[in-house]
Amino acid sequence: MDVQAPSKYVTLISSDGFEFVVLREAAMVSPIVKGMLDPKSQFAEAKHARCVFQEISSIVLDKIVEYFHYWYRYRNSEDVPDMDIPVEICLELLAAADYLGLDHVNLNSK
Amino acid sequence: MGQNNSSAITGLDQPGQAFPPPQPLASVPSRFCTPRASREQLLTKRTISQPNGAGGESDFDVCWDLLREALRDIHNKNCSRLSFEELYRAAYKIVLKKRGDDLYDRVTKFEEEWFSENIIPKIQELVTTSLVNISTDNTVASVNERRQTGEKFLKGLRDTWEDHNMSMNMTADILMYLDRGFAHNDPTRASIFSMTIALFRDNILHSCLDSTSGKRVMEILISVMLDQINMEREGDVIDRGLIRSCTRMLSCLYKDHHENEAEKLYLTSFEVEFLANSRAFYAGECEQLLRESDAGTWLRHTQRRLNEEVDRCETTIESETQPKVSGVIEDELIRKHLGDFLAMEGSGLKWMVDNDKVDDMSILYRLVSRIDDKMTALRDVLQKRVVELGLEIEAAVKNTDFSLAAADGEDAAEGEKAKTLNPAAQHTAAAIKWVDDVLRLKDKFDHLWTACFQEDLIIHTALTKSFSDFINMFSRSSEYVSLFIDDNLKRGIRGKTEAEVDAVLEKAIILIRYLQDRDMFQTYYQRHLARRLLHGKSESHDVEKQIISRMKQEMGQQFTTKFEGMFRDLVTSAELTSGYRDRMSLAGKSVDLNMSVLTTNCWPPEVMGRQVQIGEGSRVTCTYPKEIERLQASFEQFYLSNRNGRKLTWIGTTGSADIKCTFPAIPGKQGALSRERRYEINVPTFGMVIMLLFNDMADDEWLTFEEIQAKTDISTQDLMRTLTAIAVAPKSRVLLKEPPTKSIKPGDRFAFNAAFQSRTVRIKAPIINAVSKVEDSQERKATEEKNNQDRAHVIDAAIVRIMKSRKELVHSQLVTEVISQLVGRFKPEVSIIKKRIEDLIVREYLERPEEEESPNMYRYVA
Repeated sequence: MDVQAPSKYVTLISSDGFEFVVLREAAMVSPIVKGMLDPKSQFAEAKHARCVFQEISSIVLDKIVEYFHYWYRYRNSEDVPDMDIPVEICLELLAAADYLGLDHVNLNSK
Repeated sequence: MGQNNSSAITGLDQPGQAFPPPQPLASVPSRFCTPRASREQLLTKRTISQPNGAGGESDFDVCWDLLREALRDIHNKNCSRLSFEELYRAAYKIVLKKRGDDLYDRVTKFEEEWFSENIIPKIQELVTTSLVNISTDNTVASVNERRQTGEKFLKGLRDTWEDHNMSMNMTADILMYLDRGFAHNDPTRASIFSMTIALFRDNILHSCLDSTSGKRVMEILISVMLDQINMEREGDVIDRGLIRSCTRMLSCLYKDHHENEAEKLYLTSFEVEFLANSRAFYAGECEQLLRESDAGTWLRHTQRRLNEEVDRCETTIESETQPKVSGVIEDELIRKHLGDFLAMEGSGLKWMVDNDKVDDMSILYRLVSRIDDKMTALRDVLQKRVVELGLEIEAAVKNTDFSLAAADGEDAAEGEKAKTLNPAAQHTAAAIKWVDDVLRLKDKFDHLWTACFQEDLIIHTALTKSFSDFINMFSRSSEYVSLFIDDNLKRGIRGKTEAEVDAVLEKAIILIRYLQDRDMFQTYYQRHLARRLLHGKSESHDVEKQIISRMKQEMGQQFTTKFEGMFRDLVTSAELTSGYRDRMSLAGKSVDLNMSVLTTNCWPPEVMGRQVQIGEGSRVTCTYPKEIERLQASFEQFYLSNRNGRKLTWIGTTGSADIKCTFPAIPGKQGALSRERRYEINVPTFGMVIMLLFNDMADDEWLTFEEIQAKTDISTQDLMRTLTAIAVAPKSRVLLKEPPTKSIKPGDRFAFNAAFQSRTVRIKAPIINAVSKVEDSQERKATEEKNNQDRAHVIDAAIVRIMKSRKELVHSQLVTEVISQLVGRFKPEVSIIKKRIEDLIVREYLERPEEEESPNMYRYVA
């Protein structure tokens, strides 16, 4: 892809092959995704604006993508509604969040 | 999915809290492998299920091999084939397996090896002998050579740095989990990025690559940069971007792993050297300017250097250095030799002032105001120059010969007399020249003040003080200022518009403001004003009143009471005169008498006939002819009829009279002389008295000066003045004088001039003392003496006033208070105050208390 003009959307792919097309800006909340897809990064993912998460299932990734947009939508607002988290994927989601760097340190520094 | 699921995790109202930090990591891994996830091929599955199993070591090696290859590819800019996710996951696993410290150490080791194998040889190549020479002795090679060698080295170093910087950014990105899971939890470890980036400092900058000189790369780097900057200062063109890259590099590196902002290498190493270098450079330059150039060049040069350094900080090095390097220039180029440049002969501040170098002085002001809020140096020179110029004016006035200059302009009323120009008129001209010159000087400095000194208050105060100083150094300033106003009000404002008159008034007030001895000025002004008013010489009473009201604003009511009283007197006099005339015409008589009834205190003693010599016949004496005495009695009666307890004294010196004279036809003469001639002559009152004497005498009868004096009882001085008017002045010579000289002396004889003729019917005899002239030294002494007497009274009054309220006071305090009370009027000398205190003690207003402990105490005696 053209490095000068990064695409508006990026594609995240789950371990089971589901592709999620996400607003680039929203996905950048994760420093890991940012590191991968930032135009300045020279890794393979950045070239195609696609990255495969070999250890994240589509169910979890779906929730993560939902969170990206949730974060993006409410990033400047107060009085934000709760996000539904199904109990059965809680732990997986937690681990994935850790993997993606979505913790206090990173989010607060945004 | 799951949107209908009711079990939402609470506390997710903020995005930041959605996923808590990974504290309980230990329990996570096993749960991560849910049945759904385990369907996939997961690298973690096996290792996580047996975290400390035997496979851990080989797994670590697999991951590290992957990472090591990646690091190499990153350095070789060959990473587009690498998957970020894969690498990240490798590091992630290592950290989860608690092998983070191993990874950290291995990365460090890898990078150090990389430096020694791949980078250092490259740099070593750049560090040539000629390069090292730049840092030790920059006279060896030519400028061009030096620049090229330097640039090559800088470029090499910059490229290495940029590669390293980029590689380390990428490395840090893929090792992000190492920071999060390991380095952040270990306070002794810096983040992986800080650590690896700092390796550049340790392995390159701090290494010694030239064994002969023992210099470290950093020292060479800094001296090359400074060398380049100096080249630019000398006028060469250098690669500013290159220098800037190097300063950026130094800004990114820190002295140690604490990464304290104040300890950036830029600040700790480069900036220190840069400032020292700048200081040496500008010190040398200043010496050179001092030797070879003038102040104007220096000003412009310094200004240019300041701008250059500001520009340099914006484009070539870091902008945070700007205030510091400006400070260096201020020190070296301005402060150190400011005095020398200001004092430069033929180009220094004095020359700029004299030649109105507005631009130069504006620059100078800007420069000086950088280093000194109070502008001491600038102020001192200006003040000195003002005083010098002021004294020059005084000297010029003293040395100018006014007999020619004044011949056309000065007092047309005196006609031919002006041509021979008496000393008095010359003095007046001198006074006016002085005042004009002072005002011109004032205008000049006002202009400079606005144009160059940005209306700086400190400068203004300084200038005002200097003006006041030299004006007060000149002992005649009070008199000259009053004369200037006198001259303007008598003729200067004729035909001028209101605005112009206003400007003249403003100037007059400015000058008055400078005067210290205001009581002297008051005396002179009173005298001049009296002459103007009584002789009707004032051009406009409105303007007179305006100027008085301005003085009132400036100097206070007390200052102008007398002047106002004088005007009041004139108004009441006019009423009186018309009242008296009405009364007389009712009685059937027509009397043409104008009276001015003057209040003694308001008018100057000279006018009131009280000469300075107090005690000796304090009233103007004159034996008036019978006709006049009758008139006087009639007016006195009228005046006193509705006023009680007043005493009228007749003063002949300031009045005048119209006399109708008839000159007989002279037989045997041709033309006008053959007919009888009637003239109406306006003469001083005393002139009338004298002329009336000749009414009763034969045409050829003579009276000596002494005889006239005996008959009239007019004082010698007044008599001389009057006789000059009617026996010497060519247009009104109704008396013959013998010997026919120009001055009147006792012993001269006078007779009726039967052959008098004039072209006009109305003649005005000149009033000899009506010209406000500068006093001669004798008069001046008298005035001063008189003034000193007045001052003594004023000081007495002030002392008594103070003591009355304070009861007891120490000497020094009393003196201070007296001076502060009188500051608006004059500046009393301490010795005089002391004398007045002694005098008051003698007169028992004050006493010295008996007590021993207060030797300098005074007490008020009630």
